[in-house]
Amino acid sequence: MDGVVQLQRQLLDYTALLFQEGFLNDQFTQLQQLQDETNPDFVVEVVSLFFEDSERLLNELANTLDQQSIDFRKVDSHVHQLKGSSSSIGAQRVQNVCIAFRNFCDAQNTEGCLKCLQQVKNEYSLVKNKLETLFKLEQQILAAGGSIPM
Amino acid sequence: MELPSKINNNEKSLQQGISPSGNGGLISNSKLTALVVDSDRICQILEKAILESQGVETQVVGSGRDALDLLASGATFNLIIIAMVLPIMNGVETTRQIRAMGIRSKMLGVTACSYEREKQAFLDAGVDEFIEKPLTPQKLASIMREMRNA
Repeated sequence: MDGVVQLQRQLLDYTALLFQEGFLNDQFTQLQQLQDETNPDFVVEVVSLFFEDSERLLNELANTLDQQSIDFRKVDSHVHQLKGSSSSIGAQRVQNVCIAFRNFCDAQNTEGCLKCLQQVKNEYSLVKNKLETLFKLEQQILAAGGSIPM
Repeated sequence: MELPSKINNNEKSLQQGISPSGNGGLISNSKLTALVVDSDRICQILEKAILESQGVETQVVGSGRDALDLLASGATFNLIIIAMVLPIMNGVETTRQIRAMGIRSKMLGVTACSYEREKQAFLDAGVDEFIEKPLTPQKLASIMREMRNA
């Protein structure tokens, strides 16, 4: 059981760090609290949707910003969606970049938008990585016969 | 036209805190119902989970058109949660049309964006309240308290 306790400690510490570093906010805790026996994979399901949607939106943003004549309304619409989904799962840093991104859109500032695109890609990549690590830890605990600490 | 007046009487009863079945039971003891109108998959899942975790029977549709068709068919809801961004007919226009049908359900407008002008447009169209995404369990609980006490 020692191994399980260690893994549980690791998970709690890792999660706390993600909150401290601003990758996740309280909304993520809300998701965890909605998970129960009737909805045992809720967090993974919602986060997986977030990954799918984000990847699609980031591709569409890259295409839209690559055009000769940029359709800023389209850019704004994609960023709006990305802001919505990142805020829904508590991906704070992604959400913050989206706010700045929308301001550059409003101002039709191409350079600003391109910078934000790069930033949001980075932040997305980071939070994806960290969430996947978190889920792996959870899987290890469950495989070792333990339960996920809250 | 019998159907619309049936809906209106039900809504009136609900607002007065009386069960529509006329048995005099208070609303606070019966199950509340909600309709989620949102095309974003993450928001659909999240809002449904939050509502169901608080004992609210929930239906979800992905467009304004589907919401109007459902309501026109006679379905009634205590609460309608409606996103601003919807395919084809947006949330503001959908809200206008829902109110034009004589529906008095509590309507909560939600959006990922935070511009004052958009908030005002939504309120003018007929939502009772407006919140920025994401919906949280706390916000829903306070809305439900108000509805049960009404």
